[in-house]
Amino acid sequence: MSAKGGHPNFLQHHFDTPAQQFDASKLGMWVFIATEILMFGGLFVAYGIFRGNDAEVFFSAHQLLDKKMGALNTIVLLFSSLTAALAVRSAQVGKRQQTSLYLVITIACACIFLVVKYFEYTHKLHDGLLPGHCFGHPWFGDKCLDHGGPAQPLSVEGLPPRANMFFALYFAMTGLHGLHVVLGMSILVWVLIKNIKGHFSPEYFTHVDLGALYWHLVDLVWIYLFPLLYLVG
Amino acid sequence: MSSSESHAQEAHGHDDHDDGKVHVHIAPAKFYWGIFGALVVLTIITVKVSYYDFGSANTIIALLVATMKASLVAAFFMHLRHDKLFNTFAFLSAFLFLGIFLLLTSDDLFKRGRTDNAYGTKVFTPTGEVAPGGFQSAMVVPSASAGGHGEGHGEPPKHH
Amino acid sequence: MAAVDIEHGGHGGHDDAHGDPTAPYYKAKTGWKSWAYTLDHKRIAWLYLTAVALAFLAGGIFALLLRLELFSRGKTIVDAETYNRFFTLHGAIMVFLFIIPSVPGSFGNFFLPIMIGAKDVAFPRLNMLSFYVYVLGAIFALTSIVVGAVDTGWTFYTPYSVQTSTAVISMTFGVFVLGFSSILTGLNFLVTIHTMRAPGMTWGRLPLFVWGMYATAIMQVLATPVLAITLLLLIFERFFGAGIFDPKLGGDPVLFQHFFWFYSHPAVYIMIVPGMAIVSELISTFTRRQIFGKFAIAMSSVGLAILGFLVWGHHMFTAGMSEFSTMLFAALTMLVAIPSGVKVLNWTATMYKGEIRLVTPMLYSMGFIFLFSIGGLTGLFCGTLSVDIHIHDTYFVVAHFHYVMMGGTVMGFLGGLFYWWPKMTGKLYEEGLAKVSFALVFVGFNVTFLSQFIMGSRGMPRRYYDYLPQFEPLHKASTIGSWILASGLFLTAYILLKALISGKKAPPNPWGSAALEWQTATPVPLSNFAETPIVTRDPYDYHLASPEELYDGFPEDREKAAAKPKKAEEKAEKKAEKHEDKDDDE
Repeated sequence: MSAKGGHPNFLQHHFDTPAQQFDASKLGMWVFIATEILMFGGLFVAYGIFRGNDAEVFFSAHQLLDKKMGALNTIVLLFSSLTAALAVRSAQVGKRQQTSLYLVITIACACIFLVVKYFEYTHKLHDGLLPGHCFGHPWFGDKCLDHGGPAQPLSVEGLPPRANMFFALYFAMTGLHGLHVVLGMSILVWVLIKNIKGHFSPEYFTHVDLGALYWHLVDLVWIYLFPLLYLVG
Repeated sequence: MSSSESHAQEAHGHDDHDDGKVHVHIAPAKFYWGIFGALVVLTIITVKVSYYDFGSANTIIALLVATMKASLVAAFFMHLRHDKLFNTFAFLSAFLFLGIFLLLTSDDLFKRGRTDNAYGTKVFTPTGEVAPGGFQSAMVVPSASAGGHGEGHGEPPKHH
Repeated sequence: MAAVDIEHGGHGGHDDAHGDPTAPYYKAKTGWKSWAYTLDHKRIAWLYLTAVALAFLAGGIFALLLRLELFSRGKTIVDAETYNRFFTLHGAIMVFLFIIPSVPGSFGNFFLPIMIGAKDVAFPRLNMLSFYVYVLGAIFALTSIVVGAVDTGWTFYTPYSVQTSTAVISMTFGVFVLGFSSILTGLNFLVTIHTMRAPGMTWGRLPLFVWGMYATAIMQVLATPVLAITLLLLIFERFFGAGIFDPKLGGDPVLFQHFFWFYSHPAVYIMIVPGMAIVSELISTFTRRQIFGKFAIAMSSVGLAILGFLVWGHHMFTAGMSEFSTMLFAALTMLVAIPSGVKVLNWTATMYKGEIRLVTPMLYSMGFIFLFSIGGLTGLFCGTLSVDIHIHDTYFVVAHFHYVMMGGTVMGFLGGLFYWWPKMTGKLYEEGLAKVSFALVFVGFNVTFLSQFIMGSRGMPRRYYDYLPQFEPLHKASTIGSWILASGLFLTAYILLKALISGKKAPPNPWGSAALEWQTATPVPLSNFAETPIVTRDPYDYHLASPEELYDGFPEDREKAAAKPKKAEEKAEKKAEKHEDKDDDE
C-alpha cells in the first residue's frame, strides 16, 4: 500500500488525492443514509397517521408486545453501535486485530438481535397477531393469504377492532428493519474479511467507516422504532 | 508543487492540511464508552417513563429521548460532530422533508370533515358515524358551538 | 516528495487496464465486454441512451395503439380491458423507463464530468450498477407485460390496484427497482458536483446544465425513497391484505395517493428540470451570449427542487381530502410556478438582440419555450382549485402534462441530441433533413394535444375507452396528429443513426460555443481532457473566450490558416466574433 511516486494503490484513478476520494465516499454514504431515512420515514408517517386516528387502539394493541424483549434488543443494538464505532477507531489507529475483534462482536450482537426478533415473531404467529386478512388466523391458517378468499380478519380476544392495523405496521416496520439488519451484517462480514486480508491502514479505512455508518443507521431506526411500537403511552 | 496543492485546496480544499491526505479526528476509546453509557441511561429513562401515564406528554417525552439518543449516535458514533458540515446538512434535510410529508398529510387525514362539521352535513371518516343533521344547504350560517370544537387528531363523535 | 500529480490525465501505468487515456473513448478498448463491463461514464451514457430510446419506442407504440383505438367510438381495434392495459403501459413505460432516466442517464452521464473538468463521476462502479439496476427493473416490467400486464393506470391507485387480477406485483416491483437506479444516479451526481470540480470551477461558474443536474439529483435522492416504500406497501397490501389502504380494515385509500404523489410530484420536476437545463445550454450557444440572469436560472432550478416537494396534493383535489388541505395545496401550487417563469423570461431576454442561429437544436429550444409556456400556464388552470373540480381527470390534464413533458422535456432531449451528437459521435448530422423532422414533430405534437385541451375543457374524461359522439372529430384529429408526430420521431432516429454510421466528420466545436465541453477534442478522449483544465471564466462568457476556443472548424485548418494571414482574417470575420481583437493572431 506504499505510495509509488505519490500515487497510493488505494487511490482510484479518477480522483486526485486520497482526501478527495475519502470526502466523496463519506458524502456519498451520508446521501445514501438520507435516502434510507426517507424510505423508513414513509412507514413512520403511516404509523403517525393511524396512531393519530386510533390512539386507544394502538395503546391496547401494543401491550401484546414484550417490552423487555424490545428493551433488550435496544441495548444490544446500542452496544453493537459502540463496538462498530470502536472498530472504526481501531482501524484509524492501525490496530488490525482489534478492528477484527470489534467487528466480530458487532456481528454477534446483530445475531442476538435477530434471535430475539425470531422469538417475538413466532409468538405473534402463534397468537394470530398478523397483518390484514390473517389477523386472528394463527400461522397464516385458513388460507387467509388467498387473494379474495373467504378468510376475513377475526377479532382477537382482548383487542378492540382495527387492532390489526397496529400489527400490520408492526410487521412492516420491524420487517423492513430486520431486512436491513441482515444487510448490515453482510456488509460487516465483507468488511471483516477485507480487514483480515490487510486491506486497511490509518491512511485507508474507508470501508470500515462506511460499513459502520450503515450499521449506525440500522441502530438509529431502531432507536425510534422501539418507543413508538413498544412504549406507546 | 505549491500550485497543485492550492489547486487541490481550491477545488475541494476544506482539509485542515493541504497535503491531500486523509485527516480525521480520532476520539479516545473511553469517550465512546461514555456515549454508550449515556445511551443506556436514556433508554432506562424512556422505558421507566412509559410505565406512568402523563397523557399526551408520554409520546412527546419518548420522541424527545429518542431524538437525544439519535443525536448522540449521529454526532459521535457517526462522527458528524467532526465531519464536514454538508454531511450533517444532508442528514438533517432528510428529516426536514419527512416532516413536510407528515405535516401536509396529517393536514388532510386529521382535518377531514371540518368544514362540513360546521354545517352538520358529513360522516366522520374514522368511525363512519353520521353527524347529526344530515345534508343541509351550504348557505346555512354555522352555529357558534359547531364551529369551535377544536383542532386535533381523529375527533371522535362523542366530543362533537 | 509525495506530491500527487494532477497536471496529467492519467496516473502512469495504472491506466493500461483502463485503456489509453488519450485515445477516443470509444476506441480505447474494444469488444462487447469493454462496453458491458465499462466504468467509463461516456460509454455508460451510450448504454443508457440506447435503453431509453428503446423504452421510448415501446411507450410510443402503446401510445399509437391507444390513439388508434380512440380513433372511432366503440371498439376500433381492441376491447376495453386491453385498452386499459395500453394506457397503463404507455404511462408506466414513458415515466419510469424513459423520461426519468433519459437526460440524467444519457447527457448527464456523458457531459457532467466533462463540464466540471473531471475525469469521471465520483463512483464509476456505482454508475455501472445504476445501469444494470435499470435493466433489472426493466426485466421485471417486461415480465409483467408478458404475463398479463397491468390495467390500473400508471398511478396504481388503491383500492383497484389491490383488487385487480392483473400483474401488479411484478410491475410495481419493477418500478421499485427502477427507483433505485434513479437514486444511485442522483447520489453519484450530487457527490461528483460537490467534490470533483476542476481548479477554478467555482459554484458560480458551473454551467446551467450542471445546476440542473444538481437540482434533479436532490429530488431523485429525497423523493424516490418514498416511492420505494409506497410500492412496498402496495405489494404488502396485495400480498397480505394488510389493510393500510383498505377502509374495511381501518385504512385509507387516499393515504396511498399521498404516498404516491409525494414522490410523483417531485418526479415531474425530475422530468422537466433536465430538459430546462439543456435549453439553457442551447440558448446560450445559439444566441452567442451570456445567459441573462444566469444566477437566477441556477437558483430557480434549486427552487423547483425544493418547492416541488410542497405541492403534491394538487393531484388529489377531488380525491376526498380535507378542505383545508385542498386550499393549502392550491396556494402552494401557485408558488411553484414562479421559478419556471423566471427561466422562460430569462431565456427570452437572452434571445433579445442575440445573434440567433436557427439550426435544429435552437428550433427545439424555441419550441420548448413556446410549448412549455402553454403547458405551464395550463398547469395554473389545473392548480386553481375551483377550475380543477371541472377539469380533473379530463383530457385537459392529459394535454397539460403532455405539453410540459413532451413539448417540454422531449423537445429539450431532442434538441440536446442534435446539439451534442457531433461531440458524442464525432459526426455531423444533415441539418436540412433535421429541420424537416423538427417540423413534423412540432406540428404533429400540437395537432395531437391541442385537440385534447379542447376536448378536455368540454368534458371528455381521460382513460375512457368509449366516448360521446361530439368528441369524435377531436379524437380523430388527435390520432392523426399522433401519426405525424411518430413520423417526425422516426425521421429523427433515421437522421441521427445515419450520421453515426456515415456522417461527415465533425470539428471539435462546430457550434463555436464557449462552453467547456466543446474545448476538448472530438472524439472525446478517454480521460476527457488531455490535461486537467484550469477554469478562469464562466462557460457563457463569449467576450472572455479566445478565438481558439470559439473556432468552429478543424484544428488542422486553423493551423494552415495561421500560415496564411489573409485567409485567417476572413475566417475570423465569418465566425462573427464582434468582440474579439483582430490583432490576436500574428
